[in-house]
Amino acid sequence: MLSDIAFYGALETGLIYGLVAFGIYLSFRVLDFPDLTVDGSFPLGAAVAAMLIIEGWNPWLATGCAVLAGMAAGAVTAILNVKLNILNLLASILTMIALYSVNLRIMGRPNVALLTEETVLTPWYDLGLAFHQVPVLLFTLVAIVSLILLWRFMKSETGLAMRATGANARMARAQGIATGGMIILGVALSNGLVGLAGALFAQSQGAADVTMGVGVIVIGLASLIGGEAVITPSTVVRALLACVVGAIIYRLAIAFALNADILGLQAQDLNLITAVLVTLAIVLPGVRTKIAGRFTSKKA
Amino acid sequence: MISATDLRLTFGKGTPLENPALRGMSLTVNQGEFVTVIGSNGAGKSTFLNALAGEVMVDSGQIIVDNLDVTRLPTHKRAARVARVFQDPLAGTCENLSIEENLALAIKRGQSRGLTSAVKKQYLGQFRESLATLKLGLENRLGDKMGLLSGGQRQAVSLLMASLTPSSILLLDEHTAALDPKTANFVLELTQQIIEEQKLTALMVTHSMKQALEVGSRTVMLHQGQVVFDIAGKDRDGLEVKDLLGLFEKQRGLEVDDDSLLLG
Repeated sequence: MLSDIAFYGALETGLIYGLVAFGIYLSFRVLDFPDLTVDGSFPLGAAVAAMLIIEGWNPWLATGCAVLAGMAAGAVTAILNVKLNILNLLASILTMIALYSVNLRIMGRPNVALLTEETVLTPWYDLGLAFHQVPVLLFTLVAIVSLILLWRFMKSETGLAMRATGANARMARAQGIATGGMIILGVALSNGLVGLAGALFAQSQGAADVTMGVGVIVIGLASLIGGEAVITPSTVVRALLACVVGAIIYRLAIAFALNADILGLQAQDLNLITAVLVTLAIVLPGVRTKIAGRFTSKKA
Repeated sequence: MISATDLRLTFGKGTPLENPALRGMSLTVNQGEFVTVIGSNGAGKSTFLNALAGEVMVDSGQIIVDNLDVTRLPTHKRAARVARVFQDPLAGTCENLSIEENLALAIKRGQSRGLTSAVKKQYLGQFRESLATLKLGLENRLGDKMGLLSGGQRQAVSLLMASLTPSSILLLDEHTAALDPKTANFVLELTQQIIEEQKLTALMVTHSMKQALEVGSRTVMLHQGQVVFDIAGKDRDGLEVKDLLGLFEKQRGLEVDDDSLLLG
């Protein structure tokens, strides 16, 4: 079974990837905009936060700047798509590739250590909790606050307009919604959340690294799809809960797979396990309804 | 008042598929008029409606809606003045939003949208009241997803949405064509009722000559991107489909060979 440290570690990263899943829910599900920018905006958030913290900035302020940087990256992708008519997927790949250089420029080197710096986590260590429980507590709070804010936003006039834009753009235009503006706002918000995740990840891991974004999109999608398999996303709040729950389940599954000696898996098998888990998450809901169909009487 | 003057639009200019859809189309619709528009396939009916709505931009000409030149404005900037019901029942509503959310989108048509709650308590009474006029029992299903409704029900709700806030003109693009005859009749009656009660100015495209003559106060026929005749008042009363065909042939000096004009 999992050790305490491995368990809390999985919760910690799960909560961070929950924020990524929120972002991916916004782009993929709400706006129907397949956005791969996140592989670049995640390390962008980390790089911005890390450099500002090293400069002596307040860590929360630095994290806020990371969110803004993520939003700017998302806005670039969306503008490439909306204003220059570049295919959405391609636009996001262009931004992602460009961000690799930008991130190296920001940091000046491939990675930056934060181990001795004051981070958003530092004050929380005085609460008397075990070392590995502190990030879980803080990130749970961040996830809850983000979830509530996003939920309120989705229920607002602007949020509803954004949902209509993704679901039926022609109808949205006929209702007077500037669909292009909604796409820019939505993809920016999405990447702002991913920038936040990157900033928190760097602070909890004690370093920002230019390669830390590789595969973030797949992990976020795995969390989203896995979560939707567990919690049917029939309402906005359920869809958002599914993001967090999916991300935590995903990290726990990874931790379990790596810690179970019988399986004989090692850290380098991570991407293989991810691919298997995503496949299962996509296939399982279908299997579930099949089984349910077999054991329940059919109603007309 | 809506006035379209000398609208010209060619699709695929400079290609072998060049297709002049509007060739000097002019039409003025006065306040409170209910105009039915007929014409064979390719006559430019849908293109004309799309041009009025802003979904396509004309090459030349001018469109004025209540003293505002909207010729170069995109759809969403015209939405405050132009309401619309589409032919496809699925196109006018969002299936994964609830009925009340769809209505909440429509009640803010053409207005700025903020961060306050979209479905406000003060709207609910109005939503229930207007849904009750449909007599479909939808007033008790505000929270249901739009996707659970049938095509006819969705088209009825689309009509309500279009009339929830005032507009200078209501565009109806063959909005009963995709429905079964009984439902089509219901939606058509509802259309007449709403237009009459709210004294709306409306432009309805239809494929059926019979419908064009029975409904509304004025009938316009399009052919090859132009108005070939425009008939209203006493001249229109008692007119039948065969008279209309005769009129058309006389005007153009050619035979109508398109069966679709006779259908319905």
